[in-house]
This record gives sequence, structure tokens and C-alpha cells, in this order.
Amino acid sequence: MTVASKVKQTIATLQGIKSTLEIYAAQCQDEEAASAYQEGSRVVSETASDLEKRLKTLEFEEPEYRGL
Amino acid sequence: MREWTEILLRSGGLFFLALFLIRVMGRRQPSRMSPFTFVNYIVIAMISALISIKIIRDLALGLIALGVWVFLSIALDYLALKSKWVHDLINGKATILMKDGKVMEENLLQVRYTGEELLRDLRSKNVFNMADVEFAVMETTGDINVFLKSEKKPVTPHDLGKQVSPQPEPQTVILDGNILNEPLSNLGLNRDWLKVQLDNLGVSQDNVFIGQVDGSGELYVDLYDDAIQVPQPKVKELLYANLEKCQVDLTSFALDTKNGEAKYIYLNNAQKLKQVTKKLEPYLLR
Repeated sequence: MTVASKVKQTIATLQGIKSTLEIYAAQCQDEEAASAYQEGSRVVSETASDLEKRLKTLEFEEPEYRGL
Repeated sequence: MREWTEILLRSGGLFFLALFLIRVMGRRQPSRMSPFTFVNYIVIAMISALISIKIIRDLALGLIALGVWVFLSIALDYLALKSKWVHDLINGKATILMKDGKVMEENLLQVRYTGEELLRDLRSKNVFNMADVEFAVMETTGDINVFLKSEKKPVTPHDLGKQVSPQPEPQTVILDGNILNEPLSNLGLNRDWLKVQLDNLGVSQDNVFIGQVDGSGELYVDLYDDAIQVPQPKVKELLYANLEKCQVDLTSFALDTKNGEAKYIYLNNAQKLKQVTKKLEPYLLR
């Protein structure tokens, strides 16, 4: 497994986490918990976008693995 | 009128009258009544029985007696609500049986309670060791309530310094295969949501005996057909595990890369994820 594909996998997991957290934030009755979920989904999506940027660089460096 | 028809009519009428009167007098449980209320109920029951089988011949006289007992009882209850003095007079006061871990013998004598009985009632509260008791009190109903010494009290999350998420009460949304609309709307959900959840679990609505939704919106179902294994909701635990995994992944990327800037980005994000995982822990795991 190349670094790029590992990073991709992590991005996918992070996006899954983000959407689940968003569902919880919408579903939950308690405001404090909802804000914690929202905060969580914000941080997770920031991390995912940072990783995506890094992924672009990686794919540029190793074009032969692009699209994996 | 023939004797038996009269008894039939009296009994039938009193049956419903008694039902109504007891409803009007409140809904206290027999085991939680103070001795006087207990006597009150028994007198009402006996008067009703005596009228019903014609031992009290005159219906009017019997009903007067019944009325007085019911009325006075309601009046006293009302006064007790309004005035603490009346309340103490009727119900008496709670008696302290143990204080600072010591038995108050004179109070025990006052409520005619032997040491044996005290021990028995402490045991029924799961207190086998007298040394664990800080304070014990006999309520006006005769129940014993025990306050344990602080080091013997059950541990709460507060004692452990753990943060826990508030848990609203679960709502029962399916009973006997029927969807209950009111609890669903209390949670801000609807039938469509429930149908999607049931489809995800792979069970049909008719097969569900009881379905409950907890405060965070997870559905738990009990099926008629116990041979079917229903996956229990583990989404939150999984989410938490995934968060931790991502954090570890980021750290290992940071170790693998030789690019200084990338290393910084990875480590920074790993740190952020760690913080957010810690913040979400009480909500996801407890």
C-alpha cells in the first residue's frame, strides 16, 4: 500500500466520522451535546481537508499511483 | 321489595360509589400510607360493606357515616397541604433512628422498634454492617431510609471526576408491533425515520414487540421471534474507535514522511483530533 492510498483511506474514514457526527448533532435533544458534536464534525472536516491538500502533493510526486 | 333485589341494588350502587370515592381521595399506595390513613380507608371499606349486606338497615344513615369519613379525610388532606402544623399533626414527623453512626435508643423506644427490627430493615436496604450507617430515619409511613457514610456510598461519575453526557429518558416508540406517534414526535422523529431504522436492522415492524429510542436517537428492538439476532446499536463505540484510529494514522504518517512541512501538518491535525476525541468521549462512550 502506498502512502497516497493510506492517506485516502484515512480521509474516507474521517468523512464518515464527520457525517455521523452531523447526524448526531441534528438528532440530539441536548444543546451541550449538540454543540460538542458540531465542534467535533468541524475539527474532523478541517483535518480531512488538510489531508486532501497533502494528497494532491503526494499524487503530484507519485503520479503513477494516482486514482488508486 | 324482595330482600335479594335490595341487596343486589345496594351492592351494585356501593361498588361504584366506593370506586368513585377512593378515586377522589387520591392515589396513595396502601404500603405508603400513614397508620391513620390506613384506618380511615378500612373504616370506609367496612361501612360500605355493612351497608351493602344490609347490616346497616337505613341506607341514608349509612351514607351519612360514609360521607363524613370521606369528607373529613379529604378536608384533612387539603389542610395538610396548606399548613405544616396540620400536616405534622396528622402524619407525625419522621423519627431519627441513627445519627452520626450511633443508634438513638430513646427514639427507637418512642416508635416501639426493637434493635432486631432495626437490623432487619437496614438489611432490607442492603446495609448489613451497622458501621456503614451515618444516618437512618423512620419516615411517617414506617419505612426506613438510610444515609451511608461517605466512604461507603456507591461511586458516582462525579466522585470519579468523569464527565458524562446528560441522558434524556428513552421513549417507547413501538409496542406490540404498533408505532406510537406521540413518543416519536417527542424526540423530533417521524414514522419514516423509524421505517428506515427498521430496514437497516432488517426486521419488519410486525415482528417488533417493543422498540425504544434512547436519548441520543439509537433504536433498540425486542422481537417476537427470539431466534433472530438483532445487531445492538454500537455506532457510537465504532465512531470513537474510528476517531482514535485516524489519530494514530496521522501520527504514523508524520513519522513516515521526511517532508518537514507535511510532518507539521500531520502532527498538528493528530493533536486536534486527540483533543476532539477527548471532548466527545463522554458523549460517545457513556
